[in-house]
Amino acid sequence: MNDDYLWDKSGEPDPEIQELEQILAPLRYQPTPLELPNELPTRRRNYFPLLAIAATVLIALLAAGVWLKLRTEESIPPQEAKSVPAVPSVPPVNEAVVNNTKPSITSVRRRHKPVFTKDDREEALVAKEQVMLALRVASEKLKLAQRRTQGASPNQIKNQHKVG
Amino acid sequence: MKLLFQKLRLPLIAVALVTLAALVAQAQDPRIQTASLDHLAAKASQTVDVNIDERLIRLAAKLLSDKDSDEKEVKEIITGLKGIYVRSFEFEADGQYTAADVDSIRTQLRAPSWTRMVNVASKKEGGLEVYILMNGEQIGGLAVIATDDRELTVVNLVGLVNLDKLAKLEGQFGVPELGIEKAKPKNDQ
Repeated sequence: MNDDYLWDKSGEPDPEIQELEQILAPLRYQPTPLELPNELPTRRRNYFPLLAIAATVLIALLAAGVWLKLRTEESIPPQEAKSVPAVPSVPPVNEAVVNNTKPSITSVRRRHKPVFTKDDREEALVAKEQVMLALRVASEKLKLAQRRTQGASPNQIKNQHKVG
Repeated sequence: MKLLFQKLRLPLIAVALVTLAALVAQAQDPRIQTASLDHLAAKASQTVDVNIDERLIRLAAKLLSDKDSDEKEVKEIITGLKGIYVRSFEFEADGQYTAADVDSIRTQLRAPSWTRMVNVASKKEGGLEVYILMNGEQIGGLAVIATDDRELTVVNLVGLVNLDKLAKLEGQFGVPELGIEKAKPKNDQ
C-alpha cells in the first residue's frame, strides 16, 4: 500500500484516513492574529525587602546612637569633684564655681550637657560623705576584729563557724 | 469541702511554693533590717545612720577621683557594692539597749546563708561579731555587730566586699573622728 497520501496527500487516498480527517476537521489548527489587550494589568511591586532593609538600617543606627551616648557618658571623667572640697555639709556648689576655667571649644562640643545637675551634685556629695563615713566605721570595726582576734585568748574567740 | 479542697489544691500548692521561695529569698538577702533599733535613737547621745543604695553608690563613685590614691581605693571598694548601711548608737549611760535589740539583728544572720567569721567577747571591750555571706567564691555581703556597754553598732555591706582593702582604709580620707571606737586599756584578760 502506498503511504504517500498519509505522508503528503499525493498518493491514493485511504477511505479510513479520509473519514478520520473529516471527523477531526473541526479541531484543525486555525491561525488567528495575536490580539493584545489595550491596557496591560499593572503588576504590584513588592516593597517588603526594601522596607526590611530600611528597618534594619534604622535599628542599627538607633542602637549605635544609644551605644555612643552611653559610651560618652561613661568616658567623661569626674573632673568636677576636683574643685569641690570633700568636707561634710558643703553648701550647694555653683556651676560657675565648678567650671571656673573657660572650657575649650572642643570640650564644649563634646559635652552637650553637664554630667551632674545641681541637685545631682549635691546628692552625690552627700552620698560620697556618707560612703566615706560608712566605710570608715566598717574599716574600724574590721581592723578592731583583726586586732582582737590576733591578740585574744582562745576563750575570747568563741565561734568562727557557721551558726544558726 | 473535699471538692473545694480538690479544686483549690493546685492554687494552694502554688501559693505555698511562692511563700517558701520568698522566705528562702529573704533568708539569703544580704540586706539586714535595722528598723527594730529605731527606738534607740531617742536614748543615744550620738547616732550614725547611713543608708546608701546602689544608685547613690554609683553617684558617689562619680565624684571619686582616679588620680587621688585614697579616693581611687575607695572607688575600687565600692565598685562591687550594692548597698552600704550603718546604724551606730552611742549612749551616755550603761544598759540603754537590751540583748533583744542585738538579737533582732543577730537572728537575721543565720546559716546557711551567713557565716560568723569572728565572735570576740570581752567584758571591758565589749563584743564584736563579723558575719559574711558567700556568693560563690566571693563575699556577697558583710555584717558587723559591735557592742559595748555604751555602744551598739551595726554595719551591713551588700555586694562584693573586699575585706583586705576595707580593713586597710582605717584612718584615711580625713573623715572626722567619730569616737565610735574608744581607746581602752588592754588589760581586760
